[in-house]
Amino acid sequence: MKVLFQWFASLRLTVVLLSLSMVLIFFGTLAQVETGIWKTQQDYFESFIVIWAYPETWLWQQQLFWLHIPLPGGYLLGGLLLINLIAAHLTRFTFTAPKIGIFLIHFGLILLLVSELLTDILAVESQMPVDEGSRSNYSQAYRSNELVLIDRTHSDFDTVHSIPVALLKPGKTTPVPDSPLSVRTLHYYPNAHIGRTQDGMPVNSPATMGVALKMGIVVTPTAESHAENQINTATAYVEVLGPEGSLGTWLVSNVIDERFPPQIVTLGPQRWEIALRLKRHYYPFEVELIDFSHDKYPGTEIPFNFSSEVMVHHQDRSKDQKALIYMNHPLRYEGLTFYQASFANDDRTSIFQIVRNPGWVLPYISVLLMGLGMLLQFGMHFFKFLSQRSRSIQA
Amino acid sequence: MIQALQQLLSHHPTLALITMATALCLSGCDQAQPVSYQIPKEPRSITTPTMPAAPAPAASTSGNMQILPGMEQAAAAAGEVSYSVPVGWIELPPSGIRKGTLRVTSEVGSAEITILTFPGNVGGSLANINRWRGQIGLAAATATDLPAYTEDYQIAGHRGLYVRLEGSKQSILGALLPFHGNTWFFKMLGDSPTVLANEDAMREFLDSIQFDDHSH
Repeated sequence: MKVLFQWFASLRLTVVLLSLSMVLIFFGTLAQVETGIWKTQQDYFESFIVIWAYPETWLWQQQLFWLHIPLPGGYLLGGLLLINLIAAHLTRFTFTAPKIGIFLIHFGLILLLVSELLTDILAVESQMPVDEGSRSNYSQAYRSNELVLIDRTHSDFDTVHSIPVALLKPGKTTPVPDSPLSVRTLHYYPNAHIGRTQDGMPVNSPATMGVALKMGIVVTPTAESHAENQINTATAYVEVLGPEGSLGTWLVSNVIDERFPPQIVTLGPQRWEIALRLKRHYYPFEVELIDFSHDKYPGTEIPFNFSSEVMVHHQDRSKDQKALIYMNHPLRYEGLTFYQASFANDDRTSIFQIVRNPGWVLPYISVLLMGLGMLLQFGMHFFKFLSQRSRSIQA
Repeated sequence: MIQALQQLLSHHPTLALITMATALCLSGCDQAQPVSYQIPKEPRSITTPTMPAAPAPAASTSGNMQILPGMEQAAAAAGEVSYSVPVGWIELPPSGIRKGTLRVTSEVGSAEITILTFPGNVGGSLANINRWRGQIGLAAATATDLPAYTEDYQIAGHRGLYVRLEGSKQSILGALLPFHGNTWFFKMLGDSPTVLANEDAMREFLDSIQFDDHSH
């Protein structure tokens, strides 16, 4: 046990891990060209192990297609570095007053590693587009979808029953929470082309109800795209089951949205709207976009500032807040951070990136600790040097 | 305090390792579950979607019109168009992805004029003209027939295609205009007598088209 612990605490391990981190960053950068930043981050940095393959678009691909290099992933390296640093403190370092600077630097580093892990696990990102003069109380995650059944029969509120698409496995039946229904997945396509046949042409489709039948919609599955700014057309055929059997099969897709008439599931007097959509996060407040400004350098199309003037209307009036959101000046509200992300619609729509990250303050603390540690460490050396020098001059 | 913790962990190194291993494993326990929740009542306006589908056999994908999530934004990004409203036409508020909607009525019927834009060539002229032919009950045409009912037409200083489709009950007068990577569709569809009586007004309308174009 002791040998193992010493191995974990060794400086040699630190050097190896830091070198491997550099190798991982190098290969991650190569992969980013092929798969985009989001996928690379998942494959290389939010994993324990990753296998780099010789890219298809490179020279000599014919000769080197077999070349695959296994690498330790970000979680493995970060985790081992964390263990290494803590183990080193427990064995090699002893806490004394003159070493307080080193301790602060190392503690800051440990906090930084932990905060990265917390961010990976806990942070949720989504986007909220708002038109000038209108309001929104939800944001959408562009990389995850949900199957929803919405009960709009109550006069005061709507009830949303949401099933993440991760549970839509062909052949599997998932009960719809708080309802007498369950959903059986016939097909699920992470990405597809949705088109329409010529009027009057018969459609070969598993759907027995809804828009697919009425409008002659054809689905052609395609490869999932990981490119930035590209949204996959998640599409599924789902059969809705009531207590006494099938109620029909619907085609649902995140492009069959509000532009289309709602697809309705009926069971006796009860009605639900069924849809597959980008996953929504609803909030107890509404964000109103009062004004969006897009300033350009005079005489050019080069932007120098985007800013959004917003008013947040909370259900609890005392929490209402007015804010100006612009580059590097996000709005922090109710544990969420609103960044100015993009704009559309001839500068009339502003798009906010909304991040919920409970650990957002940790990196700031860790950087402060490391800064303070360095100040103490170098300060002590400096004053020691000064006093030695004055003593030698006196002598 | 720190020294006490140090002593404790150095005597129980496994404790430290287990704590960290647990923290790492937590990242894998992020399985999504079905949920139900209530939201404030949402307005749900039902509009008929406008789907510019190029006709294609069900088996082929190349000709099928795709409605991608970005299409509405792309239509919005294509900019705005301005025009003057011919005498007797009524301008309706734009809805959905339509850039403009107008209406003309006469004693013999009515017709609707719509302006739409989509990215790319939307399947090409022939596919779109055949889609229009289908809407008024005409059989699909071939590329060699095209000159019989189309002519080149200048719209806002750019070369477009004027289309004249006469059906038994309904007719279409329209124009296709490729402009800055988008295709614009100007279409009058309605009862044949009304549509044909408004041919001069349609040309006058097309001549008045101006793009709010910032890149020229």
